[in-house]
Amino acid sequence: MSTPQGRGVPGHHYRRTVYFSLVLLTTLGAMILLSASFQEGGIRALELLMLVLYAILILWISASFWTATLGFLLLLRGRDPYAIATAGREPVSEGSEAFKIALVMPVYNEDPARVFAGLRAMYQSLVETGKHEGFEIFILSDTRDPNVWVQEELLWRQWSVELGRPSRVFYRNRVENTSRKSGNLADFCRNWGGRYRYMIVLDADSIMSGDTLVELVARMERNPGVGLIQVPPVPVNHSSLFARMLQFAGSLYGPMFAAGLSYWQLGTSNFWGHNAIIRVKPFADHCGLPRLPGKEPFGGDILSHDFVEAALLRRAGWRVWLAYDLGGSYEEVPPTLIDYAKRDRRWCQGNLQHSRLLLARGFKPLSRVHFAMGVMSYVASPLWLLFLIVAGFAAYLQSLERPAYFFGHNLFPVWPESYAVEMTTVLFVTLAMLFLPKILALVLLAARPRLAKRFGGLSRASLSVVIESLLSVLLAPVLMLFQSKFVLAILLRQNVGWPTQQRGDRGTGLAEAIGAHAYQTLIGVATGLVAYYYVPSFFPWFTPVLAGLLLAVPVSMLTSRTSLGRLARRAGLFLAAEESARPRVLQLLDQQISAPPAPPCRGIEGKDPWLRAVVDPCAYALHSSLLPEQTPSRRRRHYLEGLIFQLQDEGAETLSAGEKRALISHRDGLFELHELLWSGPRAPVDTARD
Amino acid sequence: MTPTVEGWTGLGRAGEPPADESERPDPWSGAAERVGDYLRAMGVIDAFELELLGARVRHRLLARMASAEVEDPLEAAIEEVNGLLDEWLDGELGMAGERHTLLAARAAVLSGAAPGWTARFAGVAGESIAGAIRAATAQPTPEPAMLDMPPSPILLCCYGVRQRIAARLRRLVVGRAPTSPHP
Repeated sequence: MSTPQGRGVPGHHYRRTVYFSLVLLTTLGAMILLSASFQEGGIRALELLMLVLYAILILWISASFWTATLGFLLLLRGRDPYAIATAGREPVSEGSEAFKIALVMPVYNEDPARVFAGLRAMYQSLVETGKHEGFEIFILSDTRDPNVWVQEELLWRQWSVELGRPSRVFYRNRVENTSRKSGNLADFCRNWGGRYRYMIVLDADSIMSGDTLVELVARMERNPGVGLIQVPPVPVNHSSLFARMLQFAGSLYGPMFAAGLSYWQLGTSNFWGHNAIIRVKPFADHCGLPRLPGKEPFGGDILSHDFVEAALLRRAGWRVWLAYDLGGSYEEVPPTLIDYAKRDRRWCQGNLQHSRLLLARGFKPLSRVHFAMGVMSYVASPLWLLFLIVAGFAAYLQSLERPAYFFGHNLFPVWPESYAVEMTTVLFVTLAMLFLPKILALVLLAARPRLAKRFGGLSRASLSVVIESLLSVLLAPVLMLFQSKFVLAILLRQNVGWPTQQRGDRGTGLAEAIGAHAYQTLIGVATGLVAYYYVPSFFPWFTPVLAGLLLAVPVSMLTSRTSLGRLARRAGLFLAAEESARPRVLQLLDQQISAPPAPPCRGIEGKDPWLRAVVDPCAYALHSSLLPEQTPSRRRRHYLEGLIFQLQDEGAETLSAGEKRALISHRDGLFELHELLWSGPRAPVDTARD
Repeated sequence: MTPTVEGWTGLGRAGEPPADESERPDPWSGAAERVGDYLRAMGVIDAFELELLGARVRHRLLARMASAEVEDPLEAAIEEVNGLLDEWLDGELGMAGERHTLLAARAAVLSGAAPGWTARFAGVAGESIAGAIRAATAQPTPEPAMLDMPPSPILLCCYGVRQRIAARLRRLVVGRAPTSPHP
């Protein structure tokens, strides 16, 4: 097995001591304040529970707060002596002919036009750097939808022919999509990994500029002990209000958080699944993922493979870095709240599965922290929910006694006289830690007027931050209930499956919004009534949470609207830096999307591409040439014959997507079907005759 | 006019009575029109080329029917069109029956990426277009360059602890487990 060389990363111990000390001291301080605010006479069971919950939650908030603050200081200072940008003294290899780099894009039933537009834009951007020679593109298709499959093939062929020889763009569709995305990448490494020194892993919606790709390779070359460099992607490209809000937040706060993460993680950073360069040989040596013992959702295939792969690389001694200073890395976010929640549902299962790895043998302590943070990003929601319930119940019990926290028509809680200051301080400390990073981001803008201009100016950016914060307050309880439901479902052993992601802009309809949020609204109504009647003084404090739940349906619908997103843009609100000054690679993407190249095999136009792969001699020949040499078993052949009979007797519309895929998955069977259709009573296509 | 895919209603349905034998004058006349359709779908649109290729397919079909019993002349005719194309590609590119290369070349010419292929296929153009076909042939994957990627063991901390404790307790209580009676 390959092993890394090199010295330890300078600054590791110092920075981690600083960061974890700050986090722990803040948590301890907040806990002391909270415990002091409890009444005399000892801590009761409910209060103890509140204290434990608060300790976990404030630890989580504090970790995020100090990450942002340290990132802010790092960006304000302008340079980081320990970062990967300045690390490495070894010379870059002469020329790029000596080795190859694969741009790998695993896809699964994605929009083929968008996939190829993105890849073409990236390649064009690479060409513009003049350093594209060593790069090759690999589309690793796990697509099961037969129509998407055939479209992918047609678009690949078109591009491949355009680029000419030697071939630079490759395509394969896996026969079995074992182990999902991680299995897809592993299959690539096993079959072609030896051809490449590096692979740059992309998601279907990833975009990376040519300069960034070239710089990533240069950094890897300068640092032979580095196994992976992650470039934080900035969300771009969507127009809905919800997406533009996320894009604005990602563009404004993202760099600060990324810098902060890099500050304390240094060479034990994490892999985010895409927009990262990986040294192929060590990845193959150490990152083959085992199946976890037990059944899904906690056993079986490792779903969120990225964290585990980073941990395995670190376990083997390879460094993993976050290149927070590199721009030119983009991704797309879900366009609506409901799509966002759906994505969370998939990620939630993968992250909770990591709880089993927390104490697994051999991992670096910081890798365990990554696992814990992944778990916490979903468990925090049910913990907040529990905290609110416990706090509400405690308030109710207090109201039955004297002194009470809440009574009469007082707007503020009336704490026992000597502890009111501490309790209020706890509340404001918590709120400050939640909102201060937003203010720090604005301070950064104030310090950099040119950057501020790209966000529409400091005043508009500030207004956007205020609106974004208000909307976040409304969305937070909705997401809290969504995530709590997901965690509960997973704990009840419900598997999530592998649904295709919704990436394009679309508005949420009333029926869909009611279907997704009705139970949240009902919970809001019930909780509001209970709070109003039983703990009336607690009610005003509860209103932000209640408002989010009661308004879930309209907020979900309104934020999904692209018209509102565009309106906000015209008003200069939520203007992300990438919107006001569109990076070149995104311009190239726009060009590709607006003028897509005509795919081959246009002699016959039909509704379903899979049908063309059966009847159109051109599409059939292409599809057939890409199928693996495989003789179906006798049993399989009988199954296929049955499908052909079904096709003849009952029509194509009675076949499922899986059955259509089966029909076009075997070369011999496809040939027989092709001939059978062409020798039927009528030709399957109406060809023009002069 | 661009050809369009027709609905599946155009296909033969199982259980439909076969066409009356007396209505079929000879195998080729029944197949000629379909062969023309098929060639046109392949991209051969020139009438002269169609005629030449049709004649060759007819010749091959009749020769095949003379040497062996053919169940469905129409299906056999379509097979002969593909056979003719494959033979031509074999000869044009100097391949020795390499199936994969042949399939890729077929995809290349049928996509129209090798200009003038139909004339050459029909035998009316003298100059070889092998270079154009090769240039238009897309390579889906590079040569394999395999790496071993074994699953890295992950030893979970507490997996099976309950069973392990139970087994130890059992051993303590019951004593040493009996050895298996099977060899």
